[in-house]
Amino acid sequence: MKKIFSKAAAVCCALALSACGSGSRSAVTPPDGKLDKCTLRFSWWGGDDRHEATLEAIELWNELHPDIGIVPEYGGWDGWTEKVSAQVSGGTEPDVMQINYDWLITLSPDGTGFYDLGALTDTLDLSGFGEDMLSFGRVNGRLNAVTVSVSGRSLFYNSDVYARLGADYPSTWDELLALGEVFGREELYPLDLDIQSGGTAWYLAVVYIQQKTGRQFISMDGTLGFTEEDIANALRFYKELEDAHVIRTIQTRTDEDGNAALYQSAEFIGGKIAGVLEWGSTVGKYEAVLGDGVLEAGPLLTDGSGSSGGWMIKPSLLYAVSKGTKYPDEAAAFIDFLLNDEQCAQILGTTRGIPASRYAEESLEASGKLRGLAQESDEQLEAVDTMTVSPYMELPRVKEYCNSAIEKVSYGTSDPDEAAQELSSSITEYLEKIKK
Amino acid sequence: MKKHICRNPVGVSKYTGLLLILPFAVGAVLFILYPFVSSFILGMTDYSGVGGAEFTGLRSYLDMLADSDLTQAAGVTVRYALILVPLKLTVSLLVALLLSCEIRGIGVFRTVFYIPSILGANLAVVIMWQYLFKSSGLVNQFLGVFGISPVSWYGDSRFAMLMIVLLRLWEFGSTMVIFLTALNSIPREYYEAARVDGCGRVRAFFSITLPQLRSVIFINLVLQTIAAFQEFNAPFMLTDGGPLRGTYTLGMLIYQEMFRYSNVGYANAVSWALFAAIAAVVGLMFVLLRRKGEDER
Repeated sequence: MKKIFSKAAAVCCALALSACGSGSRSAVTPPDGKLDKCTLRFSWWGGDDRHEATLEAIELWNELHPDIGIVPEYGGWDGWTEKVSAQVSGGTEPDVMQINYDWLITLSPDGTGFYDLGALTDTLDLSGFGEDMLSFGRVNGRLNAVTVSVSGRSLFYNSDVYARLGADYPSTWDELLALGEVFGREELYPLDLDIQSGGTAWYLAVVYIQQKTGRQFISMDGTLGFTEEDIANALRFYKELEDAHVIRTIQTRTDEDGNAALYQSAEFIGGKIAGVLEWGSTVGKYEAVLGDGVLEAGPLLTDGSGSSGGWMIKPSLLYAVSKGTKYPDEAAAFIDFLLNDEQCAQILGTTRGIPASRYAEESLEASGKLRGLAQESDEQLEAVDTMTVSPYMELPRVKEYCNSAIEKVSYGTSDPDEAAQELSSSITEYLEKIKK
Repeated sequence: MKKHICRNPVGVSKYTGLLLILPFAVGAVLFILYPFVSSFILGMTDYSGVGGAEFTGLRSYLDMLADSDLTQAAGVTVRYALILVPLKLTVSLLVALLLSCEIRGIGVFRTVFYIPSILGANLAVVIMWQYLFKSSGLVNQFLGVFGISPVSWYGDSRFAMLMIVLLRLWEFGSTMVIFLTALNSIPREYYEAARVDGCGRVRAFFSITLPQLRSVIFINLVLQTIAAFQEFNAPFMLTDGGPLRGTYTLGMLIYQEMFRYSNVGYANAVSWALFAAIAAVVGLMFVLLRRKGEDER
């Protein structure tokens, strides 16, 4: 029995050692330029509006391509990164995936983590994308993913609550701070910021400092651009918002919402929280829980002296194909459909933001569907001098460091200077480590 | 002397037994032995989940010594176990005593008390807990009736820990069932003899019931300690480890390092450290029990 056990253990050792080697995954299937009968798995995250539209688009695909079935896999954002990371690690990821910007760093650091879409141009038409748009998805010269849309966070407000209080949407940082008093009289809040997976608290603080200093928080090549003083000022700004009753403290927010997302909370739906900082591409889920036309886009905040920079944009979503797919041509054809097909564009609308594909954008424009909050957000961001979010800023560990600093300042367990020192050294050390 | 040979009554070959345990053996190798061994090996690499891995030896284990998050998570886990395990054993035993009474419809009560254990820390329970414990929840409303100001269940790390303890305490069914079975197996004659000798119920509990339950208490202690050290679901679903990492257990740390930060090598090393810690604690319990047994002899 002992012999059997030791032999089994030896086999396990060998299997385990081979599993973590680079050659464990099956070879990449080359394209053959034909569309064969198959079934593809397609995964995405988002809110209900995106889910419904995408499922409808898949129905249309099934009508047009009855031989190529699509198995949808979808859910909310929370936990989605972990799920896909585990799938990629185990080689069980879907054929087609909606991916986040920073996943290119974590899942394909050398550009070989996803299928090279540059080799699939027979079935994937990229002529509707400018080179700047395609460059977001390139790693080491390989086209790992195609940008679905470029989006930024804007401010959206509950117009009913603002109208009831006779308050105007703020256009400067000072006006935002002054709103705290007006809303505080009725125990309401003009805005909400969080330290959950969205991390809007740190995001707004970064915008504020970027606008003031012109320095980017983390550069595109992964270098910390903020000084320790900048970080301390960002944390002070956040605390000022809490103290001025513009936003709830972390403790109050946690007590009221538990672990639930803001758009699912009674406080937001009931109007106690009258504003949110959200991506134009995903604001639909907030819009859906309030009445029609209740949520409105407010101006991007400035310092009042003409400086409107600091706001950020990024490729909000990208489509990638698993490097292990057995059907690269079919996967590329499906992505082409999602990105460029006119009928599909009409169904998807702006549920993933304003399409980056010229063809889809023109289709929406022609049918008058290029409107709504996503479009307003897009126009606002086009009108100011934006910075592109570094994918390094999106890394879960970096977000965790930032959220932790905000939390400590909010609870008063660290002052902004202490928290800034810790945050600066943690981020610098981590960025150096992952760039090795 | 004639050698007596036991013939197989159903005429099966000597390999039939092996064949019968084959499904279990295959399952054990695939789902226990393989993950067990590969986890140990991965713990000595810098594997990130994608690409290749380099052998780093004991570096991850040395990194643990300087990891303040790990120290904090270990502290939270130990504190959680120290609060939950004695409470759960006590409550389970008390309820088991109540449910061991011979009254009409006792089966219904036993079923009802067991139901929470089936639910676990699933989404429905988490939503229910939110309704109970958020600032305007039922628990704070109930406390308000007695003039007690609202408790910051989610926002204060001490109460957040208590909230998770209460969830697990509520799921005492399996521990209670083990006690109940043991209680029912204590011969009634002991109690009758004690009553004849003028022994009261409290004295009977301490002099008969508890000594008779000693081995079962020990089993429950071991099982609950292991479960507490491995706690992940409840803090993950209820508090995400917060606030201020006050409910960030080792289970959560392993999950986050593994899946959120793609630090696969380190996560596996921590898993092995946790395994070693649990083995040490349980081993210590066995040693203490044996020593106590020898002292009593």
